[in-house]
Amino acid sequence: MPAASTAAALGGNRSARRRRRLTIVVLLAPALVIVGGALLIPTLNLLVQSFAQSLGYGQIGYDFTLSNYTSVLTDPLYRSLAMRSFGLGAVTGVACLVLAYPVAFYVSFRLRRGRNLALYLVVLSLFASYLVRLYAWYTVLGTRGMINGALMSLGIVDQPISIILFNRFSLFIAFVNIFLPFSILMLTSTMQNIPREIIDSAHDLGAGPVKTFTRVVLPLTMTGLIGAFAYTFILTSGDYITPALLGGASANTALANTITDQLLTQGNPPTGAAISFVMLVVFFVVYYLVGQLERFKGI
Amino acid sequence: MRRRFRIPWLLIITILVFVFLFAPILLVVLFSFNKTASLTFPFHGFTLRWYREVLSSPTFISSIWASVRVGLITVALTVVIGTLAALAVTRYSFPGRRALRTFLLLPAALPGLFMGMALLSVFSVAQVRLSLWTVTAGHLVYVLPYFFLVASTRLDRFDFLLEESARDLGAGPWTTLRRVTLPIIGPSLIAGALVAFSLSWDEVMITYFTIGNENTLPLVIYSTVKQSIDPSVNAVSTLLLLGSLIFLVGARRFVADLQQ
Repeated sequence: MPAASTAAALGGNRSARRRRRLTIVVLLAPALVIVGGALLIPTLNLLVQSFAQSLGYGQIGYDFTLSNYTSVLTDPLYRSLAMRSFGLGAVTGVACLVLAYPVAFYVSFRLRRGRNLALYLVVLSLFASYLVRLYAWYTVLGTRGMINGALMSLGIVDQPISIILFNRFSLFIAFVNIFLPFSILMLTSTMQNIPREIIDSAHDLGAGPVKTFTRVVLPLTMTGLIGAFAYTFILTSGDYITPALLGGASANTALANTITDQLLTQGNPPTGAAISFVMLVVFFVVYYLVGQLERFKGI
Repeated sequence: MRRRFRIPWLLIITILVFVFLFAPILLVVLFSFNKTASLTFPFHGFTLRWYREVLSSPTFISSIWASVRVGLITVALTVVIGTLAALAVTRYSFPGRRALRTFLLLPAALPGLFMGMALLSVFSVAQVRLSLWTVTAGHLVYVLPYFFLVASTRLDRFDFLLEESARDLGAGPWTTLRRVTLPIIGPSLIAGALVAFSLSWDEVMITYFTIGNENTLPLVIYSTVKQSIDPSVNAVSTLLLLGSLIFLVGARRFVADLQQ
């Protein structure tokens, strides 16, 4: 921070220091207003509502109660939904790692000239519309979709089969498709931070390719693996659009959909808020564990 | 010793993954040109009929304009607010600077579902009528961290001594910003703005909660798909895709910046 230290040295007199402080405040104020006003205050408001009662039709009574949390945490329906949602999130996270790892490895260690092009394509697919990809899977897996069309024209089935769409398999495929580019990018960036000399010296010391991988490359990419898993897990279990489109007729296929349902259809914001804070606690536990694992790795 | 032929597993997996990533999108684009209303193979021949249908539908047209408006306002505000904040955390050192950087990146760590809910709860308490403005508020807090990340990583590498030299040579703060700082960090800011636009253009999760009477393009697609589908949905999806790929122009620099 050359500029900062110079400024500090020059800022000996009080008015200059005050002007500097004012500048910092003015520069930061708009961003703080946005994040504070559109995230912090709404979150606090939601927290308050999660301890209030629903009076029906979206009306809220502000007397402190824990009943939303107790009913959410004891209801077996919510528990099974939570298990399913978080389970699907975890499975998707693992699948993304399994598919992304070889790709990232190939892009970082085998490609030289094509590397930027490959990364460019990955970023492209990351930004190629989320909704269009969901719709694409809808037209591939659907009752009148391509797989059914192909099966019928080949005479394998004569009725469209509905087991491909509207179940957890279709959700899984779509989620992996959506979150895979992110895992690839995250793993590639950790792999590119591995100095080549380390791998070369492992070879020089007589480690074969397998040993170099398990003892050198894999531990050094742990951060990327954990980060990509956490991110995929959280975004998958918080997604309600994918289950609503590909998950079946009942909206209650994922925890996230129950939340939107409570809020927008049932007119019961307190319950919706309570479920979402339970979910948020799970996410923070995941983030915390990620932080711990990274620190552990650093020792 | 003869070298044994090894199956290039890594290459094969990589190619398959790229096919998996791009095939669904390409199929949507392909069938937007299909002559019949069918969305399955065989492909019946090329037509622009579905695009004409989309472009003559008032619902689609007004939603495209709504998305453009929300996107442009979001980007304009994000660029100004995000650049100012990035300048503050990179040029000055002050207590809590690192915590503040984390705080400004926080919205990117939360699922859209949560942000949408929280916003809706506060809008309904404050009795704010839902409109494209409430949507814009949601988009603003959603895209700000991404832009801020791009701008602050670029400014981390910026040599602020250049600004002092300009001052020493007699340039005022405004001239310094316009003639020295902005030309250097400008390309990264433009890349960040393009990223911001494509994020806003494609946003559904927060929008779903904060939308009023006027729909954005993704929401129209979403509600159409829930009712019935034909190639006109493919055509409008292709338009949505094209809009997201405006980002393509800035993507190279975005990749390069994040790799630094």
